Amino acid sequence: MVKRLFIILMLCLCGLWLYAGARESAPDGSRPGFGDRRYSIGGAAEYSYNTTWGHHGNFDIQALMPINQHFEMEAKLQLSTANVYSGTVQLRPKFQLPIGEMFIETDLRYRVVARNRIGDINAAIGVGYRMDYVSITLGSFTRVIDDYDLTWHQQGNYVVEPFNLLYRIEVFVRPQNNFWNLSFMFSNVDDYQIERMWQPLFSAGAWYDVTDHWRLNFWAQCKPTGMFHLDATFYGATCRAGFSYRF
Amino acid sequence: MKKIYVIALTVLMASCASEDSTLDIAGMFSPNGEVVGTRFAQSMAYNDSVGEIHLDMLADDYAVYVCTDSHITRKAHRNLDYFMDQYILAPMPKLALHLGDLIDAQKNLPCADSILHFDGQTIYDTLFATPGNHDIYFRQWSEYRQYFKTSAYWFDTNNGAKKLDLFICLDSAEGTLGIDQMNWLKDLLAKKSKEGYRRIVVFTHTHIWKLDESQGHTSNMALEETYELTSLLGQYGVEVVWCGHQHAMQRVMFKNVLYLVLNATKDKEKGQSYMIAEMGKNINYTFIEYPKK
Repeated sequence: MVKRLFIILMLCLCGLWLYAGARESAPDGSRPGFGDRRYSIGGAAEYSYNTTWGHHGNFDIQALMPINQHFEMEAKLQLSTANVYSGTVQLRPKFQLPIGEMFIETDLRYRVVARNRIGDINAAIGVGYRMDYVSITLGSFTRVIDDYDLTWHQQGNYVVEPFNLLYRIEVFVRPQNNFWNLSFMFSNVDDYQIERMWQPLFSAGAWYDVTDHWRLNFWAQCKPTGMFHLDATFYGATCRAGFSYRF
Repeated sequence: MKKIYVIALTVLMASCASEDSTLDIAGMFSPNGEVVGTRFAQSMAYNDSVGEIHLDMLADDYAVYVCTDSHITRKAHRNLDYFMDQYILAPMPKLALHLGDLIDAQKNLPCADSILHFDGQTIYDTLFATPGNHDIYFRQWSEYRQYFKTSAYWFDTNNGAKKLDLFICLDSAEGTLGIDQMNWLKDLLAKKSKEGYRRIVVFTHTHIWKLDESQGHTSNMALEETYELTSLLGQYGVEVVWCGHQHAMQRVMFKNVLYLVLNATKDKEKGQSYMIAEMGKNINYTFIEYPKK
């Protein structure tokens, strides 16, 4: 039964991928676009659970600032009732291509795990390509985990995990500039965390533009563990609801 | 072209899921057998039924022989046999640990003669084991349990009335300890760290840190669990954590805890070795390479 479900799931994913690729290649005369060039600020509330921190809530604030048609900046902040605080700054150069858009994702993140007196610093760089229905990012990141209780010259103060793969594949059911959308993402990165390469995250998102300025956002994520132990088990899940205002 | 791609992928997936496969591909997407919470509950029930394990070493100094990732098959178990031979020849006092992935895949456990038939088959025989992912996938936990009984436990060593070292075995076979085991570890460390042990040693299969990708797809724990576990081990003064899974030696010090990942014992693998830890006032480590065939 599990084998059949697995094969059906893989076929569905392949079908969705092929459909998305085919639509983008169709010369329908329209130029692919990925949202407008306006500033955006947003907030969200999350319910989250994992087997380590248990039930907890998160509050998110995000801001997007397009600098010009080739650069945009994004800042994100998350406060968690699990006594964990995350901040992300992204600078994203981007280049329009005849079909789709190429972008370079540069990421600097800091997560304050106050409950464990640990800091987690990530620096990432990736190359991305997105079309109407698909967005792909591939890159690398470095992680430094440091201990608040030891000074920098003491042995065992920090651990560096220097070369990790970063990946994100997101498939949309409508073009990305549509007023509503659903998306499905397979990645090891989301807005507030970069997991290790072999610890994938499965996410689904949705948005709906209520007016020209206001957008509602919904997002859910499942985090299994042990997938590449070939013995996967549930680890955590998160649901998010929020809004953004564009001006 | 698309049809050929889909058909090829389907055939590939179907072949991976066959009965003779050594990779439990279906296990990538759903728990395939007892999950860590169930294994932990069964282990605690067994531990309660047999009582605590206190090993009188009759000396302050003794040796711990440690190997991991032997991945034996019906045809390939030379290094594991060699390890056991060396252990048997070693002078007392001593004990041995296997850090998981004793077997490569299903139906291989009965081939581990050198361990299973070593002077009895229970955890009292100074040979302790912890399960790895290869030991339990394909629903192999029940078979593993027949031989090794428990996957999470502790024991200590002493010299008469003098307490020496505390050893804690954790079940991390699927890359997580789960809620109950983590709570048990917290309670155990809070209690035992006050009892005057010379040191606390933790051993488990999955490595806590992932410094490089030298071993490809060996995944470890989620970040949240890494933070919590390393913080806990540091807080209660654990001296060293011995792990396997990665098949490549690695030393990491964090929060005054040494995380030591061992080379594999698997035949025909680069850099095979086992470890002898001489437990005294300090721990002296020796890494012995397996002889080439």
